[in-house]
Amino acid sequence: MPGKAIAMISGGLDSTLAVALVRRQGIEVKAVNFYTGLCITETQRRKGGRPDGTIPENEALRAAAQLEVDVEYVDISGSGYFDMLVQPRWGYGANANPCVDCRVFMMRKAREIMLAEGADFVFTGEVLGQRPKSQRRDTLRIIERESGLDGRLLRPLSAKLLEPTLPEREGIVDRERLLDISGRSRKRQMELARELGIAGWPQPAGGCCYLTDESFAEKFFDLLDSREAAGAARRIDRDDVVLLSTGRHFRLSPRALLVVGRTEVENVLLERYVGGRARVEARGVLGPVALVEGVPTWEERVLACRIVARYGKGKDQPSVTVEWREGDQVEEHLVEPERDEARIEGLRVG
Amino acid sequence: MQDAPDIAAMPAAARTIDTTGTLCPYPIVETARAIRALATGEVLCVVATDPGVRTDMPMWCKATRNEHLGTFRDGASFRSWVRKRR
Repeated sequence: MPGKAIAMISGGLDSTLAVALVRRQGIEVKAVNFYTGLCITETQRRKGGRPDGTIPENEALRAAAQLEVDVEYVDISGSGYFDMLVQPRWGYGANANPCVDCRVFMMRKAREIMLAEGADFVFTGEVLGQRPKSQRRDTLRIIERESGLDGRLLRPLSAKLLEPTLPEREGIVDRERLLDISGRSRKRQMELARELGIAGWPQPAGGCCYLTDESFAEKFFDLLDSREAAGAARRIDRDDVVLLSTGRHFRLSPRALLVVGRTEVENVLLERYVGGRARVEARGVLGPVALVEGVPTWEERVLACRIVARYGKGKDQPSVTVEWREGDQVEEHLVEPERDEARIEGLRVG
Repeated sequence: MQDAPDIAAMPAAARTIDTTGTLCPYPIVETARAIRALATGEVLCVVATDPGVRTDMPMWCKATRNEHLGTFRDGASFRSWVRKRR
């Protein structure tokens, strides 16, 4: 009994295998990949590729091409998604990763696509017990229930360890041809990949999300806490996400954050986010582009200029002229580059 | 990616979209949106500045069973030609 299914595909080994398993039952598959703006590989591509000059492939596209499965990108990097990141109902993992809430959010979108496409069910490459927060038996159940996909969310790699879903009971999916994989080992997945002729999956697996990165998480919570302390809303937007993954961050005060570009590519990237922020750069010597967000005091302005001077070619000079530009307003500060590394480290976030 | 002189061999596009300044995945998102509006057999030309389009476009075409005719560097940009196949 052929049916149609929506696959959530990341391009990793598990979701690729899940697609292959469902397709070999003669079921039509449409793959969707959700764009959050928080994928480390995507950001690496945005910054011009790896240090060796190569550009990482888009893994979801690569997997869809390998399996010849129709694929659609769905951009969820909007206010609804970011509000969820800030106020997760089921809390955070080890860092800033609200994995259960994130999965619920994505599955709700997948359900909408399922209904619009007239598909019978949604499936993922999730493996029971593989991840400590979002892939436990209880959280898999929460995700299914809260997304509105009750009975219509299939995990082909672990299906035999879970309650039969509606497509299995309805005969759309043959449960006997699904698997009973659990845990963190990937041995069985790799054997299956060889059996199915699947190659080229990304190594190492997982860990592609900035929210699971300790340094990113520190900056994420620093931004939220500082905004709250300064009387602003505890919220983030798309620009914040880009800046959180760019440059060295220095918390000057709850009212002021300094972001200093680390590479030429980051300097160019920061130029795009000058609007509403002060642009700071040394004059007459090579150095980074930096942005200051918020409302710094005079002392904090001078400190920002000293730090910017410290990261430029003039760091050993007695003084450096630093330009402070806000819209059409331009000021110059003649400052001594900051030489107190302990003070710099004390201000550093992430 | 093919050499620049082959641009001349590309067929006339029924539609050209300019994704300049956008980064992955937006060139592909815009391509998918634009190709939906074309008739089978018509050609779409996509202008992009995201270097990732060199690998993304052939893979997207293979996955969606459209025909990738070529992606070429054109100064600071890239141009991809795609024929709608279904």
